[in-house]
Amino acid sequence: MAETLLDIAMMHSETVIARAKQGDQNAQGKLVQLWYKRIYNFSYKFFMDHDLAMEVSQKTFISMCRNLAGLQDIARFKSWLYKIAVNYCREEARKKKGSRSLSFDVVWNREAEDSPKWESSSQRYANPESQYQQAELSDILQQALYELSEEQREVVIMKEYEGLKFREIAEVLNISENTVKSRMYYGLDGLKKILERKNITKDTIGYEL
Amino acid sequence: MSYKPDRHDWMAYLYGELEGAEKEKMEQYLLSDPHARKELEQYQQLRKMMDTVEDKEVIAPPIVLSDNRQRFIWNTPAVRMVASIAASLLIIILVGKLTGTQVSMSGNEFRLSFGDVQKTEDVQPATPGLSASDVQNMINESLNQNNIAMQTSWKETQQKLDASVRSNLAANSGKIDKLVKEASNASQEQIRQFVSTLQNENTEVVKNYFQLSATEQKKYIENLLVDFAKYLQQQRSDDLQLVQTQLKALEQNTDMFKQETEQILTSIITTVNGAEVKETKY
Repeated sequence: MAETLLDIAMMHSETVIARAKQGDQNAQGKLVQLWYKRIYNFSYKFFMDHDLAMEVSQKTFISMCRNLAGLQDIARFKSWLYKIAVNYCREEARKKKGSRSLSFDVVWNREAEDSPKWESSSQRYANPESQYQQAELSDILQQALYELSEEQREVVIMKEYEGLKFREIAEVLNISENTVKSRMYYGLDGLKKILERKNITKDTIGYEL
Repeated sequence: MSYKPDRHDWMAYLYGELEGAEKEKMEQYLLSDPHARKELEQYQQLRKMMDTVEDKEVIAPPIVLSDNRQRFIWNTPAVRMVASIAASLLIIILVGKLTGTQVSMSGNEFRLSFGDVQKTEDVQPATPGLSASDVQNMINESLNQNNIAMQTSWKETQQKLDASVRSNLAANSGKIDKLVKEASNASQEQIRQFVSTLQNENTEVVKNYFQLSATEQKKYIENLLVDFAKYLQQQRSDDLQLVQTQLKALEQNTDMFKQETEQILTSIITTVNGAEVKETKY
């Protein structure tokens, strides 16, 4: 993950967090600005659904603003925030399971075929021709991610895409560091197998990387 | 090669979280085992593929907060209650207006009516006549009853009060006795303690004083003895000197005496010799 200005700002946001903790609404707004993209992308990869991701992100930041005063250690803000997000993701996943018992394939196909968002998002790329394949691969990977169990998915997303340390993930999930590493191991293993099944290997996509 | 990394080490190494000796061991292992190198390559390949999933751009933050704050305000129970009260009041007023509801209070009468008020004339009920004495009797009777009831209740309350005061007194006096006893016990104990501490302190002070004074006296006496000895020695040496000088003086005296007698003798001898010469001349 290349460091952007946003990432740098996120790394030096301790004073902002401290001010937000004291109830400064400007600082809270700034924190939301800084972290919204991260939390949204985390939940998006978790659900592969824009609406659910928005829902979870909004709930996460509302909860953040309300409960920030109770945060003990500013250095732990990151894992604290992801903890909230993970909890909301699990809650939404439970609701989803309860309300609509559609199989994953049905949901995915419907989204892929009917969703106007899907089309608009691919139009955003500058060079549609070359980006199309890239987008395709990323879609396949996202789908593969989604096929992992919830436990493995959380860990893989937090490690690979959110760049949390194993220690931080352990803090977020309240489990031991070794358990996190085990889940990561099985998650990567699962991804490998899923991709092999889809016949995606180094040789088939090598020219793209 | 004895070292074989477990999956925890693999993961830590893959994400650059293995450090120090562990990392070296892992690297050694990778160097020695081509199979492991291939595995690592596979993992890295997978990570590269995963890298193609990019972050989605999203803009929303300010909306979230303000939106939810608004919703939050409208959702507060207080606001909801006030709104519902206002709404029901409005309905009541409207219905009242439409049905011509009239509410009136006069004297002890509360009247709620729809439509126009129909004036009803107050008709004095024809009461059977009661003589003044009957009324007087009734009043007297009720007064008496009241009085009796009052007296009995008064007596009861007095008795209760007495009883409670007595029981309170008993309880309190007991308590006070106990307290006083405790206090006296405590004070005796305290005095004893105080006295004993005082005694201890005094003995300590006296002991210290004695020790101090004893050492001082010892020193003083020692000094005194030394001085006295010195004095005696001085005296003796002085005496010795005196005796010596006197002896010398005596010696000198005897010497002088000797010389004088010698002189006298010589003079005598010479005079005797002169006389003899004179005699011979004559």
